[in-house]
Amino acid sequence: MLIENIKEAVTSIFSNKMRSLLTMLGIIIGISSVIIITTIGGSIQSTLTATLNSLGGNTVSAYVQAKYPEDDDEEAWATWVYPEMEEEDYVTQEMIDGLIAAYPDEVTGVASQQYLGSGTITDEADSDNYANVNVNGITPEYLDYMKLKIVSGRSLTKEDNVGQKRVCVIADTMAQRYFGDKSPIGEIVSVASSDGSIYDFAVVGVYEYNQALFGRVDTTVAEKDRVTELMIPLQTCFKLQGTEQTGYEYFNLLLTPLADVEQATAHIQSYFDELYANNDNFYIYTYNMQSDMGMINTVLSVITVAVSGIAAISLIVGGVGVMNIMLVSITERTREIGVRMALGAKRRTIKMQFVIEAIVLCLIGGLIGVLIGVGIGALLGMVANTIIQSMYAEYSSYIILSVHPSGQAIALSLFFSMLTGVFFGYYPANKASKMEVIDALRYE
Amino acid sequence: MSEPVIRMENIVKTYYEGKPNELEILHGINLDVHKGEFVSIEGESGSGKSTLMNIIGVLDRQTAGTYYLEGQDVNSMTDEVRSAIRNRRIGFVFQNFNLLPRANALKNVMVPLMYGEKKTKNAKERAMEMLAMVGMEERAGHRPNELSGGQKQRVAIARAMINDPAIILADEPTGALDSKTGHMVMDLFHKLHEEQGKTIVLITHSQELASETQRIVTLLDGNIVADKGGEQ
Repeated sequence: MLIENIKEAVTSIFSNKMRSLLTMLGIIIGISSVIIITTIGGSIQSTLTATLNSLGGNTVSAYVQAKYPEDDDEEAWATWVYPEMEEEDYVTQEMIDGLIAAYPDEVTGVASQQYLGSGTITDEADSDNYANVNVNGITPEYLDYMKLKIVSGRSLTKEDNVGQKRVCVIADTMAQRYFGDKSPIGEIVSVASSDGSIYDFAVVGVYEYNQALFGRVDTTVAEKDRVTELMIPLQTCFKLQGTEQTGYEYFNLLLTPLADVEQATAHIQSYFDELYANNDNFYIYTYNMQSDMGMINTVLSVITVAVSGIAAISLIVGGVGVMNIMLVSITERTREIGVRMALGAKRRTIKMQFVIEAIVLCLIGGLIGVLIGVGIGALLGMVANTIIQSMYAEYSSYIILSVHPSGQAIALSLFFSMLTGVFFGYYPANKASKMEVIDALRYE
Repeated sequence: MSEPVIRMENIVKTYYEGKPNELEILHGINLDVHKGEFVSIEGESGSGKSTLMNIIGVLDRQTAGTYYLEGQDVNSMTDEVRSAIRNRRIGFVFQNFNLLPRANALKNVMVPLMYGEKKTKNAKERAMEMLAMVGMEERAGHRPNELSGGQKQRVAIARAMINDPAIILADEPTGALDSKTGHMVMDLFHKLHEEQGKTIVLITHSQELASETQRIVTLLDGNIVADKGGEQ
């Protein structure tokens, strides 16, 4: 019966193509505008989210920050100088371990990096064979944080760090250039630092170099001279620097994939606030990329709400159009209604038939609207993303483009166009069902 | 004698009841139609025959009197039940065919099955059978506007027959046809009556057409003035 009704509705709608199309116009415009805007918004949002996530969206950044005097405390400001950091002001590995123990569902590790210096590794046997490197001290988790994959050998470990071992991982591009087909694992590299010191490290692993993560390629330099990053344990770096420092000043806390970033940030902040409560000079400042996203999301959702309002109005206008045409159609088909009733159609069957016809009409309108909306939206989303990319050309290699029509918006649009059909189809359908069979049969 | 298919006792129909322009059309009709009868109800326009047909066909309710269809007092029934009775027990054949314009002949014949209480098995086969009975099986896929008047009326008769009704109610079935095709349609009714024993009630203004039937009930100004050829 339902299928019969839908078939008949489609037949009736298609037997009056032009009229049906004009009737659906309001709904088509309403739905397509919502889909266009949500697709553009969704595309911008997903592009930014993907980009920020690749830059560490699922992490909380933190650093040691001086406690400033109150803004209006002029007396204190007059004598205030930025305090020197002492050994006990740094964040220690024990503190991090304590944090992980306190929130095992949220925090998984710490990524921190310290630049030691740049230098050159030269092959003793062949002085033409050399490699320029930046030497960085890192925590073992840092490679994960930067999404760098180990392609051979092993990563740096906690033991390397604690033991301040003279080991390193090198970039695959550098390994290829410097060692050629020979395996670099176990080889000793001597870095002649630009300040004159020479450091020896044993190569334990090779990571896949990702230019995008280390900034733009300096194309003015020959490929051979290009600098790659050489990673050593952070504690080894501290030792080579000759500083007292063994803790972290700037660091990123890695979160579990399912952790709520905002909540984790709050937990981490309160954890460090407690530890630094008795520190007169310093505290730990935490922040995350998600809060930057928050503002963009707010703007986009305000726009979405505004457009949905406009769409609601156009759906109402479209719905009135549908109601009008259904009333006309019912008058035109009075005889048909009479015949159907004479042949045994019940009043509710007649009502159902016309409500379904209105629903199908609105749904076809909605579908056309969705198709137009997705098409135009995807196009404009692409344009918007390209504009973002060109606005931040220097970061363009970080930006991950993504065009995203919102499935939720599509489902909701179709649902609302159906609802429009029910709401505005009910009155004409009810009118049809109230006809007296003999009057309807005799209608000329 | 078995119970009549149609029993009308003192049927009165008044329009605009209680208003100044109150108009009594039927003044107390008593009529029995038995199973297997082919009755024509004949009368000039204004005699009340259409009003009587509407009441027999459960399309309208009488103002007073009782109407039993197959022993049931249909006036006391709800709209829903009356719809079901029209669907299953009455086969309508109209003067102007009243086929659904957007549906082909087969679909038109199937419409009463669609409104039936339960889903009919082999609906299509049954509809084809009906079309074959009226000699229209080759036009099953044609829409009404592709059929001649006589062909349309044959499709309408197939539609009337599909639920095996208690009576076929034909309202001026040849009124829109020329005399040749009109005769073909009448022959079809005779065939249904003789071969299948259908009870047929024919409403007409034409004495010539009425004279073809077994029993002729003549209506004048809302009263039965003659009833010839009946079984009693």
